[in-house]
Amino acid sequence: MEKMLREIRERVLNNIEEARATSALEQIRVGVLGKKGELTALLRGMGKLPPEERPKMGQLVNDVRAALEDRLEARAKELAEREKAARLAAEAIDVTLPGPARSAGSLHPMNIALSKMVEIFVGMGYEVVEGPEVEYDHYNFELLNLPKNHPARDAQDTFYVDDNIVLRTHTSPVQARIMTTRKPPIRVICPGRVYRADEADATHSPVFHQMEGLVIDENITMGDLKGTLDEFARQMYGEGIRTRFRPSFFPFTEPSAEVDLTCANCKGEGCRMCKGTGWIEVLGAGMVNPKVLEMCGIDSKKYSGFAFGMGVERIALLKYNIPNLRYLYENDLRFLTQYR
Amino acid sequence: MKVPMKWLKEYVDIHMTAEEYASRMVMTGTGVEGVDKTGAQFDNVVVGYVVSCVDHPNSDHLHLCMVDVGQAEPIQIVCGAPNVHAGMRVAAALDGAHLPGGKIKKSKMRGEVSCGMLCSGPELDVPAGLYPNIGDAGIIEIFEDVKPGTDVKEVFGLGDDIVDFEILANRPDCLSVWGLARESSAVLEEHFVMPEIAVEETGAGTFDDYAKVQVLDDETCPRYCARVITDVKIGPSPKWMREYLYGAGVRPINNIVDITNFVMLETGHPMHAFDLSKVKDQTIVVRRAHPGEHLTTLDGKEHVLDESMLVIADKQNATGLAGIMGGEESEIVEDTSSVLFECAAFERANNRVTARKLGIRTESSGRFEKGVCADTAMEALERACMLVNMLECGRVVPGAFDHYPNPKPPVEIDAEVGRICRRIGVDVPGEVMEDILNRLYIDTTLVDGKLLHCEVPAFRQDMETDADVSEEVLRMYGYDHIPSTLMNGVTMAGRRNAHTAFSDRVKAALVGMGLYEVLNYSFISPRWIDSLGLASDDARRNAVVLRNPLGEDTSVMRTSLVPSMLNTVAANLNRGNADGMLFELSKVFAPTGVAGELPEERLSLCVGAFGEGVDFYTVKNIVVWLLAKFGVAAQIEAAGDAYYHPGRKAEMRADGVKLAALGEIHPDVAERFDIKGRVYVAEVDLDALMPLEKDFYGIKPLPKFPSVSRDIAVVVDENVGAGTMMDAIRKAAAKTLEDVKLFDIYRGDKLGKGKKSVAYAITLRAPDRTLTDEEINATMDKVLKALGEFGAELRA
Repeated sequence: MEKMLREIRERVLNNIEEARATSALEQIRVGVLGKKGELTALLRGMGKLPPEERPKMGQLVNDVRAALEDRLEARAKELAEREKAARLAAEAIDVTLPGPARSAGSLHPMNIALSKMVEIFVGMGYEVVEGPEVEYDHYNFELLNLPKNHPARDAQDTFYVDDNIVLRTHTSPVQARIMTTRKPPIRVICPGRVYRADEADATHSPVFHQMEGLVIDENITMGDLKGTLDEFARQMYGEGIRTRFRPSFFPFTEPSAEVDLTCANCKGEGCRMCKGTGWIEVLGAGMVNPKVLEMCGIDSKKYSGFAFGMGVERIALLKYNIPNLRYLYENDLRFLTQYR
Repeated sequence: MKVPMKWLKEYVDIHMTAEEYASRMVMTGTGVEGVDKTGAQFDNVVVGYVVSCVDHPNSDHLHLCMVDVGQAEPIQIVCGAPNVHAGMRVAAALDGAHLPGGKIKKSKMRGEVSCGMLCSGPELDVPAGLYPNIGDAGIIEIFEDVKPGTDVKEVFGLGDDIVDFEILANRPDCLSVWGLARESSAVLEEHFVMPEIAVEETGAGTFDDYAKVQVLDDETCPRYCARVITDVKIGPSPKWMREYLYGAGVRPINNIVDITNFVMLETGHPMHAFDLSKVKDQTIVVRRAHPGEHLTTLDGKEHVLDESMLVIADKQNATGLAGIMGGEESEIVEDTSSVLFECAAFERANNRVTARKLGIRTESSGRFEKGVCADTAMEALERACMLVNMLECGRVVPGAFDHYPNPKPPVEIDAEVGRICRRIGVDVPGEVMEDILNRLYIDTTLVDGKLLHCEVPAFRQDMETDADVSEEVLRMYGYDHIPSTLMNGVTMAGRRNAHTAFSDRVKAALVGMGLYEVLNYSFISPRWIDSLGLASDDARRNAVVLRNPLGEDTSVMRTSLVPSMLNTVAANLNRGNADGMLFELSKVFAPTGVAGELPEERLSLCVGAFGEGVDFYTVKNIVVWLLAKFGVAAQIEAAGDAYYHPGRKAEMRADGVKLAALGEIHPDVAERFDIKGRVYVAEVDLDALMPLEKDFYGIKPLPKFPSVSRDIAVVVDENVGAGTMMDAIRKAAAKTLEDVKLFDIYRGDKLGKGKKSVAYAITLRAPDRTLTDEEINATMDKVLKALGEFGAELRA
């Protein structure tokens, strides 16, 4: 019996070593330790032994059983690891293969620029306000010191709906509406669509966007206007971008200025984009004309203010190096999908 | 306005290059478009002396000329002009010369060498009138005894720097050489020297012996001055005058006409010269036109006038439009022998309206529109007479006509030094301000160091208030002195307004779903609305119409974003962009129907999707997700406009409010927009959605009790909406429903024709207890009953 036990032990251990899959191990286990297994049968046959031998034999069988179980378990772990590794290896995929096509989506570049502009001014305490695009001549022109038949109206070729209603030529009428309805201090920006009767070309569009800013309070100076626009220029185009003010004329501001920014392309060195001057004309600004304040019911002795207006498309063109304004209104996906 | 530097320098010293000068002017507020030279269109053209001229041996019209061009030996030039002859001085373009028509190269013409070209006026692009016989047939003959080899630019008076000024609307006084010289003198701190005006009156009699002027409308003609010249000899004006006029972009014509143009450019006063013998009864009447009165202007065009228009007339008929254009009859011609010079001030708004109504725009009308100073009109007229003396082209008759009943009182402004400093943000001492203003010919005294008392000269019609004074001070002191500060005062809470914040959230959601934003014009063609095939009484056919559109394609304001979107899709397909998902967020405009009222503007969203991988459910999901993002659950029903596919369109409503319409575009409509293939569109009324947005107040606690799931499959008629039944399940099981999902739709012979089986997985849960079987069964019974309303039967 002892010999049999030894033989089983050796044979089974050997089988375990030779097993190549967890399923083979299971068969071995059943063959030895299962209900009908060899060892189980031996244990069952113990009854035939003389009682004094039983404990010793029992001990021996159990030792063999324990040894086989240990080995089975260890080998099972080994094989399971190996099988997992094989499975994972088989599951390898080509990670360089592109995933299913998915459209990234983007705002229109004009609106990307506008959002950035709005963010900058909101950060400086400005409130966004809006007004109608189809507007009364009264707000678009008259309250801004541009009476009917004033030659300065020629600078803004106007679409008319009737004698008193126009498509707003700038976002300034929103300022007029704010000034006639609110009391200072006022600090607002008015972004929106505007219209001029210009044929579309590389630098003109009959529909475009402006963002106007208006500040009215006590002791507002032209220095504050410059400081504000300097801050805008830095945030929009980067450190090192400065403003240059040139005297100009707008009926609703006095003094008025054309404002140039350092050419972002050459950092002011002079290049083709800025025609060698190092400056790019970007916006118009000035101190609100006291006449305009008075027309809107604000005491010009007590309050002063500044206003500025800029073309959003122009800002976007400069920011994103877009060579032609037409790109913005053609909506060609090959252009739009370049934005993120 | 183009001004030759030489002309400016007659009145002010400018010790710098034209470019430096231009930049000084720009930085003090006088815009400059650019600096050019006259005659820049050609180079290397010199005076040549034709030594000999013989016929070309191989041609019946060419000549072989030996031309002395100032070099050691004469050169041979082949010339075809009939007027070329030996002993003539010519303009010879040398080998390598650039002409407007191209580069001149030494070459062989019919076997003979030609080392250059003898030029005509058009070949050099110089106008007739610049030099006596430019414009006659053939090559230019130079009459003066000039050394061969001299640059012809010297002979023609070319090569001067021309500054092209861009004068701002508030400074019409600078639309003149004197005005610019005066402005320059202030900028450069140099003296402005105006010529002393003295007229020699050598004509017989007095003004009244020759002409009668009646001004019948003081309002539109505040001033009218006139002078008579007799013994007029029409001829070319002298070289210096022609040179200045040409440099300023005006074609020289003859001495009298040139004088009027010269004075206009120099003083800013448009003038008119009448051939006095052609003025009926030698009487000039300035009056408003009679309604329906006819007039033929100098350009041969006939106009019908109305009573708002100011005309120059004889006793009976209008002969010219005051300040805009003269009449044909009294034009200056070769044999004109007596002239009446007019120099007047016409009211700007009236002038502008008349010019606009008649569609005429002339140099003169442009100037009157911008404002011509009445005070200096007589001075300008005297300058013209002085030039008549100088050119010896007539005799000035003693006496003048001057109608100026209401001279404008001079403007005086008191401006506080401190207030100016506060406004401009720069501390400029009062004395410096006083000096600056005086340099600008604004007669200023500083009172107590605190107050500037300014007497504004008549030509500065733009100066009215202390704000204007502050601008004058600052621009002369230098805009580069403005410091960069940020305002003191109360802190303001910056924010996007609700509307902007909302539309920004909409855009962010759409971009997140992979859509690209597009921008289209707000005005479209009415034909595009037709192409949608809307019913004749559809409100969207009633659009705001522009009175002066650029063209029919941009003539009405959008009532819907769909046509623009379809055009955008078509354009992309056309360019080979095979698929895409787009959106536009913009206003649509609806007239209120009340005259004089602004239209209603609504913020609208339009989604367009086309190409591979998109279908009806793509755009439906976009809308559903968008609404879900704003906490809005909407009911969907199969309905919609006729421009959608009849079986693939839907409308979405929440609380009875229509929020969205979507579907596949009807193939007929797609075809009208040149779209081949399917295109899907969704429209969302954002102004309707915005008030429905649910604020996010907090979360539901996570469940503590178990849920149960039940699957049911029902058989219904094909036309019953699976989503509609889902809504019914939600309603029926509302109390304990956690979720309902559709997991299968099956069609097959076993079910019978026109039937489908729809299977739902229903999850129930109560927040405060474990649901009992009784409760669950009761709920499921309710669900089945609700589905029974659609004729649904439990699938066996």
